[in-house]
Amino acid sequence: MNSLRTSFKRWNLTGLLFVLPAVLIVVLLLIYPILSSMYYSFTSKNLIRPHYQWVWLDNFRYVLTNPEFYRAFANSIKWTVLSIVGQLLVGFAAALALNKIPRFSGFFRTLLIIPWAFPAIVIAFTWKWIFNDVYGFLPNLLTQLGITSHNVNLFAEPSLVFGAVLFVNIWFGAPLFMVNILSALKTIPADQYEAAMMDGATPWQSFWAITIRHIRGVIGLLLVLRTIWVFNNFDLLYLMTGGGPSDLTTTLPIFAYKTGWGLKQLGVASAITIILLLFLLVVCMLYFRLLNKWEKEDR
Amino acid sequence: MRPVGRSKVGVALLYLFLSLLSVLAVFPLVWIILSSFKTSGEMASHPLAFFPETFTFEYYRRVLNNLHFATNIKNSLIVSLSATLITIVVSSLGAYGIVRFFPKAGKRMTKLLITTYMFPPILLAVPYSIIIIKLGLVNTWTGLVITYLSFSIPYAIWMLSGFFQTVPLEIEEAARVDGAGKWRVFVQVVLPIVAPGVVATAIYTFINTWNEFLFALLLINSSGKMPISVALYSLTGSEILDWGEMMAASVIVILPSIVFFMLIQRKIAGGMAEGSVK
Repeated sequence: MNSLRTSFKRWNLTGLLFVLPAVLIVVLLLIYPILSSMYYSFTSKNLIRPHYQWVWLDNFRYVLTNPEFYRAFANSIKWTVLSIVGQLLVGFAAALALNKIPRFSGFFRTLLIIPWAFPAIVIAFTWKWIFNDVYGFLPNLLTQLGITSHNVNLFAEPSLVFGAVLFVNIWFGAPLFMVNILSALKTIPADQYEAAMMDGATPWQSFWAITIRHIRGVIGLLLVLRTIWVFNNFDLLYLMTGGGPSDLTTTLPIFAYKTGWGLKQLGVASAITIILLLFLLVVCMLYFRLLNKWEKEDR
Repeated sequence: MRPVGRSKVGVALLYLFLSLLSVLAVFPLVWIILSSFKTSGEMASHPLAFFPETFTFEYYRRVLNNLHFATNIKNSLIVSLSATLITIVVSSLGAYGIVRFFPKAGKRMTKLLITTYMFPPILLAVPYSIIIIKLGLVNTWTGLVITYLSFSIPYAIWMLSGFFQTVPLEIEEAARVDGAGKWRVFVQVVLPIVAPGVVATAIYTFINTWNEFLFALLLINSSGKMPISVALYSLTGSEILDWGEMMAASVIVILPSIVFFMLIQRKIAGGMAEGSVK
């Protein structure tokens, strides 16, 4: 009874008023749509036809027995893992280099950050233009150098398209890793390195014991956020290739889009996106386990 | 052995590495700007030539006059500015409220953000397109602004709560002792301190809404109402692509993004590094 009264006292009206608008909007714009998406995933909802009915698990059965779904799933994993690894490696290397050079670090940083500001539609136009097999810079350069006998269209060639979209995604995403890792590197106290050197540690040892240990929290958080972003990404890939050629770059979001708006089957599309969300939840829980373990070790 | 970065050769190699990366990072921007001034004849005959032989403003003229891109820019400005304004008001209140009055939840901000971040835009797209049709908001800016709040508010709250956490409690308490109420403390004491962070968050929100594509594609189909990203996309609908127009339009869309980005780059990174150290 007593604890109840104190908790009522703590019920702080002004505080609630501060957070109320944000809470309302998040509930209305995120929670409610998710619930209604779950509902539609059990129905035959169509984009155009007004009538639909409850179909139980039919949509899920249809999706989970569809080989196209598994191809899109495999493409999603490949696209996400390879993009993230590439972005991390390039961003990390650039951040270490920027942190080491004595001068012009701000200048290089400003240049290197430029891809991050590109909207997806402009990224797509720019690289389609550079890769264009008639006017494009790269195919013409390769032909002129004698590397290729004729101009190749990187976004249309089945053996090259995945490498090409990965390259663009790494080009776009590496600056975000670089900037965040760099500002984490700056928080490492310099005297730790001096102490390690006095103790006779090799540069490699102090890199692992000091640098990595200090910034792994930031890297972990970046990995979670960017994995989710890349896995969920629709516009960048769709605008570059439209999921083609012959579905080679169709990931789950593009597959859901084609099902929902191409085939008008919103119910099935909902089922696909719900499966996508469940998969992300599992992956993120694994990430969180690791982050919590690191947090405990750092204490 | 001296570590890389201390020896002269090591430093030179680092500069070489960074220079190569910078060329890769900047080349596409430079290339689309230069291409947008080349005549179509030159694009075809000299695909590798760097500088245009004759500068032409023809594409810019066509994009702005014939394609009415000025209207699309105006649409984008209205949508992005409204979304940014609402986001900043709601998120400043929310972030401050969480940090000051619900500190336990404040410590879990990052996890809360990640949870909302996990909802794929393509998942939200299904219910949004159904709801927006029901509300009769198809082809309206209101409909678009509402959907933009779904991703901009959680992110803004997260960024802002990082900034609000840096405000020392003593300053607020001093103001409270002087008799200021909670709202007055917030408006007159706290907000001015975090103003640079609020501006950075506002610019970041603006860029994200300016660049948004999926919801705009699904909810707006009349060209007079289209924001710039979808108007650009509609250039790909014709049989023969006019690359000159596409490049000129791209340059118009990207320049504000880049300028704004340069202004706030340090703020964005700082927030994340501090946020996860805690």
